[in-house]
Amino acid sequence: MRRPALLFASAALLALGATTALAGSGAVAPASGAGPQDSVPTATPIKHLVILYNENVSFDHYFATYPTAANPPGEPAFTAAPGTPRADTLASAGLLTQNPNTNPANGEGAALPFRLDRTQANTADQNHLYTAEQLAYDNGKADLFPKYTGRAAAGGAGTFGTPGQVLGYFDGNTVTALWQYAQHFAMSDNAFSDTYGPSTPGALEVVSGQTNGMKIVAGSRKPSTLAAVSYYIADGDGGWTMINDVQPAGDACSASPDQASMRGKNIGDLLNDGGITWGGFMGGFDLTAQNPNGTTGCKRSTQSQVVGKAVQDYLPHHNWFQYYASTANPTHAQPASVGAIGYSVQADGETADPANHEYDLTDFYAAVRAGNFPSVSYIKLPAYQDGHAGYSDPLDEQEGTAELLNFLQQQADWKDTAVLIVWDDSDGWYDHAYRTPSSPSFDAEADQLNGPGTCGTGTPPAGIEGKPVNGRCGPGTRVPFLVVSPWARTNHVDHALITQASVVRFIEDNWLHRVRLGGGSFDATAGSLEGLFDFGPREPAPMLFLDPVTGAILTAPPAGATP
Amino acid sequence: MRRGCLILAAGLLALSGAGRATETDGANPYPIRLVRPTAAPLSAMAQLGRAIFFDRFLSASGRQSCASCHDPANHYAPTVGQPAMLGGADLREQGDRATPSLTYLERQPPFSIGPDKDDQDQPPSLNAMVALGRDVARAVKTVGVEAPGAPVPQGGLFWDGRVDTLQQQALHPLLNPVEMAGSEGAVAARLRGARYAWRFVPLFGPAILDDAERLVSEAMFALARYQIEDVSFHSYTSKFDFWLEGRARLAPAELRGYRAFNDPLRGNCAGCHVDRAGRDGQPPRFTDGQFEALGAPRNPALANTRDPGFFDLGLCGPFRSDLRAQTQYCGMFLTPTLRNVAMRHAFFHNGVFHSLRAVLDFYNDRDVAPDKVYPRAGDGSVARFDDVPVAYRRNVDVEDPPFDRNPGDAPAMSAADETDIIAFLGTLTDGYRPSGR
Repeated sequence: MRRPALLFASAALLALGATTALAGSGAVAPASGAGPQDSVPTATPIKHLVILYNENVSFDHYFATYPTAANPPGEPAFTAAPGTPRADTLASAGLLTQNPNTNPANGEGAALPFRLDRTQANTADQNHLYTAEQLAYDNGKADLFPKYTGRAAAGGAGTFGTPGQVLGYFDGNTVTALWQYAQHFAMSDNAFSDTYGPSTPGALEVVSGQTNGMKIVAGSRKPSTLAAVSYYIADGDGGWTMINDVQPAGDACSASPDQASMRGKNIGDLLNDGGITWGGFMGGFDLTAQNPNGTTGCKRSTQSQVVGKAVQDYLPHHNWFQYYASTANPTHAQPASVGAIGYSVQADGETADPANHEYDLTDFYAAVRAGNFPSVSYIKLPAYQDGHAGYSDPLDEQEGTAELLNFLQQQADWKDTAVLIVWDDSDGWYDHAYRTPSSPSFDAEADQLNGPGTCGTGTPPAGIEGKPVNGRCGPGTRVPFLVVSPWARTNHVDHALITQASVVRFIEDNWLHRVRLGGGSFDATAGSLEGLFDFGPREPAPMLFLDPVTGAILTAPPAGATP
Repeated sequence: MRRGCLILAAGLLALSGAGRATETDGANPYPIRLVRPTAAPLSAMAQLGRAIFFDRFLSASGRQSCASCHDPANHYAPTVGQPAMLGGADLREQGDRATPSLTYLERQPPFSIGPDKDDQDQPPSLNAMVALGRDVARAVKTVGVEAPGAPVPQGGLFWDGRVDTLQQQALHPLLNPVEMAGSEGAVAARLRGARYAWRFVPLFGPAILDDAERLVSEAMFALARYQIEDVSFHSYTSKFDFWLEGRARLAPAELRGYRAFNDPLRGNCAGCHVDRAGRDGQPPRFTDGQFEALGAPRNPALANTRDPGFFDLGLCGPFRSDLRAQTQYCGMFLTPTLRNVAMRHAFFHNGVFHSLRAVLDFYNDRDVAPDKVYPRAGDGSVARFDDVPVAYRRNVDVEDPPFDRNPGDAPAMSAADETDIIAFLGTLTDGYRPSGR
């Protein structure tokens, strides 16, 4: 494996060389000594896209006071660089000292937003269901979060809980690394989930832009009503739309009696058609491995010191590609070799690789180290690091995120890599930003955003059969969205409206000549990520190595700290 | 007694080396690695919590802090032998239950009935969980037999598991009229005027002092954080911990006691007071965190027993109300840890026992010689399970050894067994210093 390029000067020269060669052209000349992915023609300089898909955070929950942190003694401090642009935060919107969530309809949860300390990283999971979130946004007033999504339920003995907890936010003394990435690279303050609702719809949006076309494979739950919430509704055109979580059909680790799959296509299908290497890499996916605590199989778990318990690594309902027969790996088969990672076939060019593009996170590190860095990689950290309140937390999330980014920045491939740090849903955490639905929906029970049975106005967009369908009320909740790359703009906050499906669009635009999935997928209407990048000519954004525990800036990458 | 579990249990004892270690040696032939929390400087939050922990002015009397009953000098438990501490504005009101130690609560899971919930959008309600568990036969707890994960009540804090977090727990003594006897307003006022009040704004923002409810919440969290971060609340420095690691030797009586503790035919203590370390090096908790109804005798020294109609029923009330209808749980109390138990002076929820000998006599005599445990009723009969209403006496455990015997049977333990177990329990006290190797 090549040595990391530590000197910023030489990295800049390398990047500048590549930049001038491609300025204004659609194709990119292969860099010397690079892997096969570098010779694939792309519309931008990006040859390796890594989508780190974390869990359950709203923009305000992490960035409410960005770039100002409280900096109490003894905590990792954050000081804003001069010229940091304004972001649409609670602070800049004046919503810290007065706030609609003091609405008495919230009962004892009525409160102003408040700072969560680093020691309070272990918080309860909030209610992030499709209908509950719509009710919290209350026709755009965003004033009923404690009533509808707020939960002060407990985690372990050391958990912090208070009514109105849903209004709590962390600052740069806790999410230090994310604030540093935002400060040194680019982030959006206008990124939304494509629809309201929790993880599985969010996972489907970032790979297919589509939650319609669901198939019930097992179980007898009825469509969701106000009285009895479930994971889907009738779409009004004879089919089903997924609105809440459900386990993927056939996954060896899917333990629930209710299981579903999706009928449409996803970006993996298009990448396969185009012969582009890609993979979904998830912690805990390899069922043959044994963890240090002795767990194995679907029960692989890791102890979190912050949350105070062992957390199961692999959660089937987060696995993007497992819902589609064409890209599923239900038995969690391993790739035939490190060289086969990212490919549909093995070295002989004919035999299908058993993993079918679904791998363990360790396979990602192995492939990159071996010079086989896929063009497109979706990453899910082991659950204790995914950031989801209730079983994960921002400190464990920071550790996993910074470790991955420290690793990637040490690769020679970094020069044409972009890492997107995106979240799958907001967890129902308070966020003040509301967008008038561009995807209306009129399910009598499930949709409540602008009135009973009402989300938005006009005609719902077409589903996979080409007719308008219900269940896709969106854009939904605002989530953080960061780009870390030598090609990212620096200390930049972008205000263009983007959604999770914008990731699908970027892949299609960069590698696949702007093909679209069709079938009503939101890739056709999603915003572009281009505002977060500057493709030159330019100095590359300097590398940024961070201490995974404190988020503090390191002057050199940490030695050998990768999984 | 099931034969199968006898063989398994004997095998377990042999595997643990307890049966094979020579009496003079006392070393653990199979040392293991234990993972302990690392001591680190207290965060700003925990330092605030420590200041609050020792603040007497938070009580109505002005003379009681948390430390008054949870004394750091005795593993955060009382140093005195009263069944319940005195409190109230004039320090003359007796509490209702014995004061638990604050040590070793950090790994207690939240209260639930059944297996842990993972990332579920809608965690089931308590009543739903109870319904799920109704049809599952409860497993007998015998050392060496792996009990299936039956949906039984488990977790939570206090003798009845009525809160889940240390933050929630801290508020109850503060507001209890027979303990620190405060009110939210009075506590908030005191916090604002305390010498440590300057710590609040940097941690919680400028609005904190104007919001009494949140101020109290955050103060309770700071207390929780102090207990989580300060290693003295969970140091795992008992002689037994060091013996597990091969860094200490047990005396002959302690070794014999360890075997009797694990013997399903004698103490069977480890059936509930689990003494095995986790596979990832987590030291043993000495509790399974579940609830049992043992039918301990009524304690006339408690003021609340003067009313013959009053019964402390644990899970089904009266100090928690959400399980009142689940009468199958009446009389059940949380199994506490046995760490630091040798330093306690009042045992069981009603503090009816004052020595470990008395506790072991209870386990030994309850079923084979109840006349030694319970008073006699007016008609001369033994008032067995006198602290449980007649309607709920069917809840009392008569299955887990040694509670599965009958009057006239031989007792499970000899006097020497009891002495040895007491010696073993003495090895569970924190603060042991292993001699250098």
